[in-house]
Amino acid sequence: MHKELSDLINRNVSGANAVAYLTADSKKFDSSITVDASHILKVIEFLKSNKETSFNSLHCISGVDYMDHMEVCYMLTNYDPTAVRDVTVKVKVTDRVSPAVDSIVNVFAAANFLEREVFDMFGIKFNNHPDLRRILCPDDWQGFPLRKDYVAQKDYNGMTVYPDNKMNMEDREFIVRQDMIKKAQAAKAQ
Amino acid sequence: MQTRWDVGEPIKPTLNTETEQLKSELLTLNMGPQHPATHGVLRIEIWTDSEIVAHAIPHIGYLHRCMEKHSENIDFRGVIPFVDRLDYLASMNMEWTYAMTIEKMLGTEVPRRAELLRIMTCELQRIASHLMAFGTYAIDLGAFSPFLYAFDYREKILRFFEEVSGARLLYNYIWIGGLWNDWNDDQIARVSAFCNDMEEETKKYHELLSMNKIFIARTANVGVMSVQDCLDFGATGPILRGAGMKWDLRKNAPYSLYNEFDFDVPVGGVDGVGQAGDCWNRYIVRMKEVVESIKIIRQVIEKLEPGSIMGKVPKVMKLPEGEVYVRAECPRGELAFHLVTKADEKMPYRLKVKSPCFAHTSMLPRVAPGQMIADFVATVGSIDIVLGEIDR
Repeated sequence: MHKELSDLINRNVSGANAVAYLTADSKKFDSSITVDASHILKVIEFLKSNKETSFNSLHCISGVDYMDHMEVCYMLTNYDPTAVRDVTVKVKVTDRVSPAVDSIVNVFAAANFLEREVFDMFGIKFNNHPDLRRILCPDDWQGFPLRKDYVAQKDYNGMTVYPDNKMNMEDREFIVRQDMIKKAQAAKAQ
Repeated sequence: MQTRWDVGEPIKPTLNTETEQLKSELLTLNMGPQHPATHGVLRIEIWTDSEIVAHAIPHIGYLHRCMEKHSENIDFRGVIPFVDRLDYLASMNMEWTYAMTIEKMLGTEVPRRAELLRIMTCELQRIASHLMAFGTYAIDLGAFSPFLYAFDYREKILRFFEEVSGARLLYNYIWIGGLWNDWNDDQIARVSAFCNDMEEETKKYHELLSMNKIFIARTANVGVMSVQDCLDFGATGPILRGAGMKWDLRKNAPYSLYNEFDFDVPVGGVDGVGQAGDCWNRYIVRMKEVVESIKIIRQVIEKLEPGSIMGKVPKVMKLPEGEVYVRAECPRGELAFHLVTKADEKMPYRLKVKSPCFAHTSMLPRVAPGQMIADFVATVGSIDIVLGEIDR
């Protein structure tokens, strides 16, 4: 299905460069379609209005940080009682300093809050978004928490973030850090 | 004279035209974050013209706990207590959806008994969640006694869960590959008896609240969300069904063993009260779902056979590289997890939670303009918000 869909997109939206990523094991993993970041608005518009595909609802927008690039994933769905159809359309964003993608609020109103969340967590700006503000973090928070290279700010409005006397760092960092701490302790003991 | 509970065109309050020239600016009013009608820590900034809402801006994030960031540092099993705390009124459904996500990637086969017991616990949880919605919605509208009736029966369900999992609210009961603990025959027999009681009890609820004249006056034709609005805003669950669309993931794209069960999908707009997509119809869809859940539980009990409750899962859980997007029908709508994994890592690389209430909250600015403030409270109550899930 993804192969035909990407062909359909390429035929109708020029310059979209839709590439279908097909998994070897479709029972375990999901396939997806990657399109050119500059054409996402047209692609989503096409997928919604086209009669053959007609994805009539936006389920979710998710962001993923892969260190060398970031991805915005649009999960579209079709509420068709006879056959459920889902598709994940992705765009790659390589610029980490001022990443920007076109907003799709005019196509799906659901994108309003979802894009604000991606902006809040990954710092990806959405062009022509009517109200692009942080949504979960405070307005004056610094940094984008779900980026892999995120380090929490030390000071927020005169309050210390993670004060030493109140945080048990061993508990906070859970398993990853625990393993490292144990190894360090074992090395010390020897 | 047409009364408010008659079927017909909704009465839309209009801005006061006579004094419009006098009015210089709108009054900004903060509803929440400690307002009892917001069911948690939701703050809605409303701009009002006397009693009429001109604009509503939801401010969320007061309960943000960075759950998605935390889960990138915990192994796959360790995330389960975190997903419990998303929708704390329907923790079982949250756990189940997460377990399904991991099981899909692992390719685990869950034993039949475990699947059936999962369906039973999650349907019980759905009843408990809808009872909570029923009780608190009545309180929002000024009726206190339905709350007490609802909590009496919700407590009985929580007692069952306490027996099998050891906790009343946050269970950590559904594990990857199966269940933590088995139900014994005595408990199953008591669940069966509970179903009979519950079915009788729902009739009482309808007399108490559903057909109450004041309740209908407060909710019918109020806060109408059309099917097109629902699709635009990605609304799911009782909101979408209340608008008149017959859509239930358990029926339309059956996961687990739901294709073996016989149940109906209730929709709004068929009872002759109000119109499809208003507060009353969203409410009645939930109450009808309680009866459907009872049907499913009874069928589960018939099908139950002794057997294993835990599938084969590796001791050190490492998932292959890839990504999945798994959806499931929870009491408040469709919950979904977007999981990205890296090869040879014990932790999720990225876990995105698609929360149903997040989409429903974004609909408030659409329905609010032109409503009375009291009607707006009814609208917020009718979408049954749980902030733990919105803010994550």
